[in-house]
Amino acid sequence: MTKILYSDDLTACFSAWRKEGTKVLGPVQQAKTSGFGEVQDAKELDLDLVLTDRTLKELFFPRTEPMLSYSIGKQQIDTSEFLPSEHPCIIFGARPCDAAGMAIDDELFNWDYRDEYWFRRRDRSVIMTIACKESDDFCMCTSLGLAPDSAKGSDILLRPLTSGKGWQVEELTPKGSKALLPIASLLKEGTEEAAPTAEVPVLFDLEACTTWLANPENFESHFWKEISERCIGCGTCTYLCPTCHCFDIQDEGDTYEGIRRKNWDSCSFQLFTMHTSGHNPRNTQSARWRQRIMHKFNYFSDKFSVHSCTGCGRCTRECPVDMGVRETLQAISTLPK
Amino acid sequence: MTETNSTAQKNIYKPAVMKIAAKRDEAPGVKTLRLEFQNPADQEKFAETYRTGMFGLYGIYGEGESTFCVASPETRNDYVECTFRQSGRVTTALAAAEEGDLITFRGPYGNRFPIEEFHGKNLLFIAGGIALPPTRSVIWSCLDQRDKFGKITIVYGARTVADLVYKQEIDEWAEREDVELVLTVDPGGESPDWKHHVGFVPTILEEAAPAPGNCVAVLCGPPIMIKFTLASLKKLGFEEANVYTTLENRMKCGVGKCGRCNVGSVYVCKEGPVFTAEDVSAMPASDL
Repeated sequence: MTKILYSDDLTACFSAWRKEGTKVLGPVQQAKTSGFGEVQDAKELDLDLVLTDRTLKELFFPRTEPMLSYSIGKQQIDTSEFLPSEHPCIIFGARPCDAAGMAIDDELFNWDYRDEYWFRRRDRSVIMTIACKESDDFCMCTSLGLAPDSAKGSDILLRPLTSGKGWQVEELTPKGSKALLPIASLLKEGTEEAAPTAEVPVLFDLEACTTWLANPENFESHFWKEISERCIGCGTCTYLCPTCHCFDIQDEGDTYEGIRRKNWDSCSFQLFTMHTSGHNPRNTQSARWRQRIMHKFNYFSDKFSVHSCTGCGRCTRECPVDMGVRETLQAISTLPK
Repeated sequence: MTETNSTAQKNIYKPAVMKIAAKRDEAPGVKTLRLEFQNPADQEKFAETYRTGMFGLYGIYGEGESTFCVASPETRNDYVECTFRQSGRVTTALAAAEEGDLITFRGPYGNRFPIEEFHGKNLLFIAGGIALPPTRSVIWSCLDQRDKFGKITIVYGARTVADLVYKQEIDEWAEREDVELVLTVDPGGESPDWKHHVGFVPTILEEAAPAPGNCVAVLCGPPIMIKFTLASLKKLGFEEANVYTTLENRMKCGVGKCGRCNVGSVYVCKEGPVFTAEDVSAMPASDL
């Protein structure tokens, strides 16, 4: 016997959570893209999407967020902090690749110094992930050692029933179990089987890639120039990546009062690393693409023993010039070591 | 939101407030600020954590933050000094700030020069131009406990006589019997009354020929000077493991999050800014 949550009870669950002061978010269509938004009714959800256009990371690390406000007097600087104090929230219907990405980002935002802007939102959120029944040509979780039903980063894993009428409920963390308390009466015991998960083919040999990347000689390889020649440096891949976390800090206002903000930034941009002197360590698009790949599959892995990629495939799916992690790693896995 | 004492709750992006206690012109476009913490708790924390080599982010709200070393020594940790060249938006605002004005500071961040490991050894300091500040922090940290070190040699060069920074301190070092000072300016940079060397740092260093035995070298300067000086040190018999230098990359967070200061897998903000020449050799040269 397993716990079953039926789709018909979903709106009642949302009401029960909201009654506790918990916000419910899920995959929805927003303007011309899909992402995670607040929902009242299950009908608002778009659960048929293989993957939302935008990632879960926006919920914890917004595109732009105020960090501090300041006001300057002659002998005084007054600041107030905008540390997130949002309601607890339940994110219903995340995908395993996105959820895994959040656990990877946790490593970075907790690396010796804890980023409260990230963790105050993370700590108040419960991620309910739905295992994938379907995939598309860009999905590559299995190439990264994950799977369409990976539990990493999720508090609860839902496996779609064969009937399509609901989900098996797997509690993964104490935070997840606690989130189920208000809806306990809506969960049924059942024996209904879960549908098979999507079959996602392995697209490249990750170990061969990381071995090639780890060889210092290949840092100067002509390969980098060839593979990135058509990159236009738009930054889309980094913005739509669940594990890209680079940011800028900018003041909005004048020297009397204003707001200090944390904004998404991207290693694709020339100004990202440019020194005041004009010297730029990563002055070409190929050096910047190499940085992105090396960061994900060598530098990050060196520090945190995990690659900073979960195979969501968005970088390739949304790239205006059809390049991404997939093409690069596929090409690398065929190169001589 | 109130601040709590727990480090787990601390906002790493919120700077401390410092007052400009003194401001000094060093050279054309180069200024030194002496800063004092306004909050005793910030001063206490700084004194506890600061070691020579570490850096800070100095800021003016509305303009932003800029990264430079703490130029004052760890042996004088009741204030912070920074020396910078006015070149961008933040440094222009800092240069315009006056004594008594308030600015912001985050830090100290990064690693340090392991000066305990230098005990009993001869020290060779080599600096070029505006890179004397990080070197000066180590120099005073060692001079303030002079008996722990062997012979101390300082080789300092700038483009012109006017570009030499810390002129008063240079005079002080020149007068000390326990310091050997070698000063030079680039050819054409000398003034009529210049009594010291004329020539580039690597050449002058080779002429001075300090002995590499039981000696640690601390080398800071612009990339081109570092490159040629390292070659000279090698010629003189210095091993890369005994040569220390600092790297300076663009930074925003200072604490390993924002993703821009890395050279290869090395985060300059967390694993640096102090490296041995051996460490630097292991980094991908085209990423520097």
